[in-house]
Amino acid sequence: MPEALEREIADVARETLEKLAFVFAADDLPEAAAGADPALRVRVAFQGPRAGALEVALSEAALPELAANMLGVDDPTGLSPDEQTDALRELANVICGNLLPRLFGEEAEFAIATPVALRRAEERAAGTEAADCRLPLESGACRLRLFLEGEPPAGRGLAATQGGGA
Amino acid sequence: MAVNVLIVDDSGVMRSMIRKAIELSGLAIGEVHQAENGREGLKILDAFWIDLVLVDINMPVMNGEEMIAAMRAREEFRAIPTVVVSTEGSRTRIDRLEKAGARFIHKPFSPEKLRDTLKDLLGSEVFHA
Repeated sequence: MPEALEREIADVARETLEKLAFVFAADDLPEAAAGADPALRVRVAFQGPRAGALEVALSEAALPELAANMLGVDDPTGLSPDEQTDALRELANVICGNLLPRLFGEEAEFAIATPVALRRAEERAAGTEAADCRLPLESGACRLRLFLEGEPPAGRGLAATQGGGA
Repeated sequence: MAVNVLIVDDSGVMRSMIRKAIELSGLAIGEVHQAENGREGLKILDAFWIDLVLVDINMPVMNGEEMIAAMRAREEFRAIPTVVVSTEGSRTRIDRLEKAGARFIHKPFSPEKLRDTLKDLLGSEVFHA
């Protein structure tokens, strides 16, 4: 997998988690979090100069904190599963919206679909997996996978090969 | 004067975040209405007096750009101050929205950014001292 692309995705995810939900990345991925199944996985598809999808999964420990911080509530135990799902869907939406111009340039226009929660492990996006990165968090971990239809990108400078501005 | 607000976003969590940020801004708020897409937003505009619209771009059924175009096409809605709150990264689309008279706030946003944009758009007289 291209390391530059994975770094780019991790940078956008880190910035978005901090600004949107006050969730901070950790230095190391806890072993338990690395091996654990995600509590929830969502996919946001996009169409434009390139079509594809971004999948974002969050581990069990991180999901309630994400939702509580976004909603500004002190006690995450009172949050419904729907609220937690909506929080992760919005996180994926914001990460995707901020990632695409970095990959394809600021002139490129994309239609970003409504993020959907994935219920089964075998459901996977169309296209080639272009990147798969895990971001350790202070509690739990976040996994991000980018799928692209067509040739996988090579990180920054991609826009030049796509006819974008960047 | 209290400002009646319409928040249009398909995410309930984001609508709550925007509402909370507006409350923190010190804006003198009247009624707050919410819609999940542009079509619902237009229905609310038909049914209630709205002074300020905050709208996302990427939504199902009718997106924010289509909603703004529909508002600008109707005399009674044309002058309603409108702020786009979106992840939109395309300079081309942002320019188009700004030409249609909308302000733009990029997600993720800070409460301070929202407050400053609203003050600039509405004037400080509708904010608590």
